Amino acid sequence: MKAVAFFAALVAGLASFPTAAFAAPSPVTAWYVYGSSAAELATYAYARGCDFARSQPGNGLRLLLLDFGAARKLSSSTWGAIDFSNTTFSNSDILAALKRAADGYHNCHVRGSVDILYGNSNYHMSNSGMSNTDAWYAGYHQSDRSRDLFDYQASKGYDSQTSDAASDMEPSWDGALITKQLVNGDTGQGWALYYDFGSADGCPQSGSSDGPCNNGWHASDVGYVSFHGLAMSLPEIYYSALANQWTVVRKLWKGDGDYFFAGVTASTGVGLTPAAAWNTLSSLNSGLVDSEIACFGC
Amino acid sequence: MLRLLSVKRAVSVLAGLAVAAGGGLAVAAVVGGGVPADKAAALARRVSVATTDSDTEQVAPPERAPQPIPARMVSPGVPVPIAPSVLQVRNGWLVSDGSTLVAVYAGAVGDDPSTGRLVIVRQDLVAGTQTVRTLDAGPTGALAITAAPLGSSVETSAQTGSILIRTSTGRALRLDLGTGTLGSG
Repeated sequence: MKAVAFFAALVAGLASFPTAAFAAPSPVTAWYVYGSSAAELATYAYARGCDFARSQPGNGLRLLLLDFGAARKLSSSTWGAIDFSNTTFSNSDILAALKRAADGYHNCHVRGSVDILYGNSNYHMSNSGMSNTDAWYAGYHQSDRSRDLFDYQASKGYDSQTSDAASDMEPSWDGALITKQLVNGDTGQGWALYYDFGSADGCPQSGSSDGPCNNGWHASDVGYVSFHGLAMSLPEIYYSALANQWTVVRKLWKGDGDYFFAGVTASTGVGLTPAAAWNTLSSLNSGLVDSEIACFGC
Repeated sequence: MLRLLSVKRAVSVLAGLAVAAGGGLAVAAVVGGGVPADKAAALARRVSVATTDSDTEQVAPPERAPQPIPARMVSPGVPVPIAPSVLQVRNGWLVSDGSTLVAVYAGAVGDDPSTGRLVIVRQDLVAGTQTVRTLDAGPTGALAITAAPLGSSVETSAQTGSILIRTSTGRALRLDLGTGTLGSG
């Protein structure tokens, strides 16, 4: 009976997805979080969940990416993030906000489904005093809180929702070794897919060698943080050159499984429109870019 | 429930059904048996998400607690949301009155340090909108914000006020946030 129920749920879920991705999907809005207090953060997240639900295009599962800023160790046993207004939030604060985002999505739900992502970044982790082990635990707890959010969604009957994690991992912002620990920690915890919505800045735009990127990274390091373990590739494609870099990263992948892209991260005010970003990456990686555009500024 | 299945079986089920359904996780299906084992269970979880909620009761929204952010410079240790490929940031400034927010980041074009650039992030927290806009200053070298309204008394007015910018050669520019234009200082 369990198997029958499982297959029924799986088929129903698949039927709800958008058709196979041969054209750019409509973008969905991703948010930079500028907070000032935990209470305000919860209000903010509720509104973003509601906004997302109201404007969600199509009937598919879309990513609601909330970027809470840089991963941080706040005390000997507390992890969280420092947001873009220089406010620190513990993971408890962030979980509370993510729950409100889930409430907001539920209250305003029109169609489709959502994967709510706890996003952060590798911005200056080392400079803030974090060790590689600290970064591992940052990823671990990020996944753990995503699991907590899923438990909340399930307990509330929010069947149109699930939860995962994400990180804006930029070579220029910190070293490869400490950044990899975010992915390793998340994978070690084992729950959350870990969407890399960062860049391959400085990496080669062509060729098949594991060339250098910014800040001592190599293209294979970008491959690691975007596809190792539970990592998923949702690359920033703001200019054509970035699509070239990510294509090199994909072709270099020698780890477990066949590398593919979960979609793209796009923005307004840059060289490529969101649709052009998706189309450019897809044209270089035919059939290997899923139907998602998380867009900052859309 | 999927976690009751073996990873290998989950992968094959996922790939097969995705193909049969003609969409969704299309790429994972295309790569078929190449779906990494680590990801299989988590990907399959996404597939089983419904499009309706079993509980349709509305939950009470949190009480709106808009809290302004006094106008401030963004110090070097504060995260910047703008990717280095877009902006090599020198410094920034932000303000929010609790309903609308403006953040300005100054520096140079990501792959061209000779071209000055500003990136302006605006959020309307009531309307639920966010915009990201870039303003290029031409061959000025990196830009830096040198003077801007600060404090809690300008949380609304500063959003349409002016910010002084300096180029790498010392030339003064003025960003008019009301019109969104960059001119001589």
